[in-house]
Amino acid sequence: MKTTDKRKTVCGVTLCADPMREDCFTVAQRDVEMDERPDAAMSEISRREKLHRHMNNETGAMEIAAQMLVDFPETPWELKMELARQTADESRHVMSLYRRLKQLGGYKGEFPIGNFEWCVTNLCDSIEARLAIQNRTFEAGQMDLLGTLRNVWRAVNDERTAQVLEHILADEINHVRFANRWIKLLAQKNPRVLMKVAVAMRMFSEVNAALAVREGEINAVGSDLSYKAHTQIAINVEDRRQADFSDDEIDEILRQSGMSSLTSARRSA
Amino acid sequence: MTLSVKEKAEYLGAFRWIEVFLMETLAGWVPTTPEMEVKVLFGRHVWELAQNADGLGKRTVELRAPLHYTLKPLDRMVAFLEEVSKLEQTGERIDAFYDVVAPAMMQRYRSYLEDTDALLDEPSVRVIERILSGYERMLSERKEYCSELDAPPKHDERIGERWAQYLGDADFVPHGPEGTLARA
Repeated sequence: MKTTDKRKTVCGVTLCADPMREDCFTVAQRDVEMDERPDAAMSEISRREKLHRHMNNETGAMEIAAQMLVDFPETPWELKMELARQTADESRHVMSLYRRLKQLGGYKGEFPIGNFEWCVTNLCDSIEARLAIQNRTFEAGQMDLLGTLRNVWRAVNDERTAQVLEHILADEINHVRFANRWIKLLAQKNPRVLMKVAVAMRMFSEVNAALAVREGEINAVGSDLSYKAHTQIAINVEDRRQADFSDDEIDEILRQSGMSSLTSARRSA
Repeated sequence: MTLSVKEKAEYLGAFRWIEVFLMETLAGWVPTTPEMEVKVLFGRHVWELAQNADGLGKRTVELRAPLHYTLKPLDRMVAFLEEVSKLEQTGERIDAFYDVVAPAMMQRYRSYLEDTDALLDEPSVRVIERILSGYERMLSERKEYCSELDAPPKHDERIGERWAQYLGDADFVPHGPEGTLARA
């Protein structure tokens, strides 16, 4: 049985089973089982939790890229090279975050982790669909997040962590860009690729909705997570453009995030 | 007598097959190895192996073979690599790759360098020298990353010896009995 053929069920939703983790880690199945703290003050424990969560997310990104090399051996060599490079990039991110975490007094397994990206992306049986979900959606979303986060760390005088995030952001742009380019290229060769991507994105939306934090839900450390539903992350327009998102795509993302006023402002700028 | 152009392409094609196989093996081990530092180690080396395969594949087209020409090695080598790819324990994976496979590959690359004409085949020599330096880096990083583990994975030297014996000094290019190259 292939690694990605194993399944689990969470809240009635079938997902890919988790990748292997050491016993020191507690694997959460939903956000409410995590220790996320929405504190703007960035307490010491909050900083460590953010780094710990990010470290595991990068581990997942590394695993997803590596698994594509295994599951799709007929992929064009040039795309395999991109995925191999991404695997190595993500491995550097994991180690950079882990070393920073240790410098701040943290350790592996200090907080719960979640493997949602792995569990949903690997439900797809085409490489185009996995690139659309992992690189074009999760990693592009991380570009938006990192665009803001590095300044949050700077604001609390943690320049070292801000630098780590800035380097990660630069790498993520490349990962999103090659995915955008390859999906377009493969779709030009075979229009059915677009159908596969559309089906995958619909599945992704449904899974996301089924597992989303509900109004009033409290997580493991007593944080009310319903703020997430009302928080908009600033769209990182400049880096999305560098990652080969078209102007129309960026406008659509801005509209979906309730920032449609920025689309006209951006066009007139 | 030095290798012919065709033989060189055959060697490099077989090397390339092995490098791609190893890249896919390490990629498969990334999500199925629990220890984070070892996942990271394998993840780094997926890219090293991909670059090895890429360099070899770009050289084969200069030797009158197709771009990224890839030749399946002899059955004994294939069987050995397939057995390695099925290993599940972290310690066994590390021992097999870094103590047996990597030194075996380095030995075979060095044999190629001894057998080829360093001037006529200089582009291949450059590719292989870069690959050898990459293997040296992989072996050094194995020590660095494994030293960060809370507890080192179980290590049994007998397993390494068993794998080394299994591989022996097997050649891997499908030469025929009279030295005629037999394509896989």
